[in-house]
Amino acid sequence: MISRTKAAYAYIVARTKVMKSKLLKPEDFRKLLNMGFDEIMRFLEETEYKKEIDEMAYKYTGPRLLDYALFTNLAKTYRKIYSVSFGDAKNLVGQYLRRWDVWNIINILRGKNANLPNDVIEETLVPAGEFSSDYIRTLINKDISEIVKELERTPYHDALSKIGSAPMNVVEDELWKTYYKTLLSIKASDFESRIFMNFVRMEIDLKNVKTLLRLKAEGATTEEIIARIIPGGYELTEDEARKLATMTFDEMVKAMEGFWFWKVSSISDLARTEIEFDKIWIEIIAKRASNYPLSILPVLQYIVLKKVEVDDLRILGWGKWYGLPNEEIERQMVIL
Amino acid sequence: MPEVQPTRMELIKLRRRIRMAIRGHALLKMKRDGLIMEFRELLEEAKTVIGKMVENYKKAQQKLLIAMAVDGYTALRSIALACCQVQPSFTVKKKSIMGVVVPVIKREKVARKAVEKPYGILSTSIRVDEAVTAYEELVDSILEVAEIETTIRRLLEEIERTKRRVNALEYRVIPRMQELAKFIAFKLEEMDRENIIRLKKLKTKRMKK
Repeated sequence: MISRTKAAYAYIVARTKVMKSKLLKPEDFRKLLNMGFDEIMRFLEETEYKKEIDEMAYKYTGPRLLDYALFTNLAKTYRKIYSVSFGDAKNLVGQYLRRWDVWNIINILRGKNANLPNDVIEETLVPAGEFSSDYIRTLINKDISEIVKELERTPYHDALSKIGSAPMNVVEDELWKTYYKTLLSIKASDFESRIFMNFVRMEIDLKNVKTLLRLKAEGATTEEIIARIIPGGYELTEDEARKLATMTFDEMVKAMEGFWFWKVSSISDLARTEIEFDKIWIEIIAKRASNYPLSILPVLQYIVLKKVEVDDLRILGWGKWYGLPNEEIERQMVIL
Repeated sequence: MPEVQPTRMELIKLRRRIRMAIRGHALLKMKRDGLIMEFRELLEEAKTVIGKMVENYKKAQQKLLIAMAVDGYTALRSIALACCQVQPSFTVKKKSIMGVVVPVIKREKVARKAVEKPYGILSTSIRVDEAVTAYEELVDSILEVAEIETTIRRLLEEIERTKRRVNALEYRVIPRMQELAKFIAFKLEEMDRENIIRLKKLKTKRMKK
């Protein structure tokens, strides 16, 4: 007899599988690469993005229309996943999607600091997390001190209370650290939670390796690097990161060779290396999701793949609109 | 002819002024030539600096486009909001090129390290860093061009002014003064001749008596 938890996962995974089947295939992207911007938009009008494109067309044109349509669709899709989930899976999905709350808080703060009108700030938001669109709108209508007060009972308050005493980049990084800290604080008592935890820890590894390479290449000090490392990595723990941060760039790269994520061909172009890390990440999730088909992993895999699809379509749209060569566009995309 | 007393004293004064005007004309000509030489050198420098600015602009545009394509317009816009709060700072000092006061813009290095940038490292990709760095370099180039352009504009104004002075001295002031001196000299000679005739007439009258 299938346990209740397994049955819940079977249902959610079946739903996400249907959604996954609607994702664009690599051959679709290859076809799109040979199209012009208008042809791409026409192609997307025949896909899941039709409704959002039609909705936004009165307000925006060109790649901005594509951008907003893609983000709106992304938010809608994530909310759908959350709404079809139940039980433990709903909790895990909800916790994971809170990253968009962090994203929204950061964008509201940036907008407020720059004294931008509320409608302009609203354009930058993706209501895919725990905060509803209405709640986000109420936050936008407040000033920074009121926002900090409003979010007093959330885990983000500690980071937000540093506003004024610390630079904004520190506050933003602290918010992301808080997000991951909250994720890692979930009790991993059962097998499903442990799988989820490993997924989060691996994602932290990727974030940390990107931070290490980026800051080391800029000549940041060990302390500056460590201050931006997210604790709780899978293999790249805080101690490991500290050890790596003290090395020179070349030594650090050599020392990373044993880690699970180190399958990159070259580090001469760090932007390209970041894309390679993303590809490795997607391949690993796919492998793990097929190993554990009745777990949270296929759902998380879909969440990641949907984001990658949106990113790729955006790259295509912007690249085509501004006449970037096909090779350059393809170079920036994460086509598997 | 202007109203001038055709006296010897006036002639002496006028001749002195002509000499001074000729000397001034020569000096102004030398200044004009010096300014033109300086201008030509600056023009070469300006070409290099403007070329560098155009290069930096193209590079920044491409980096921004890639960042916008990869991280999205929404993200870029919010990062731009954070970045625009940090204004580039510079001090303007003065220096003199052949008497022309031109600005010297001392730039405080705009380019910042990733940890000093006004946005978090964890929420952005390296392409954003590349775009921001490219734009910061562009701001540096623009300030450099602003300095050289102002210098060139001031030099041009001074060259124009000096040229007008040289031409005025050469074609108007000196010829007029020379004409005036010639007129006074002629008048004085006339007066001398009149005196001689008058004296001759007096002598003849006295001889007849």
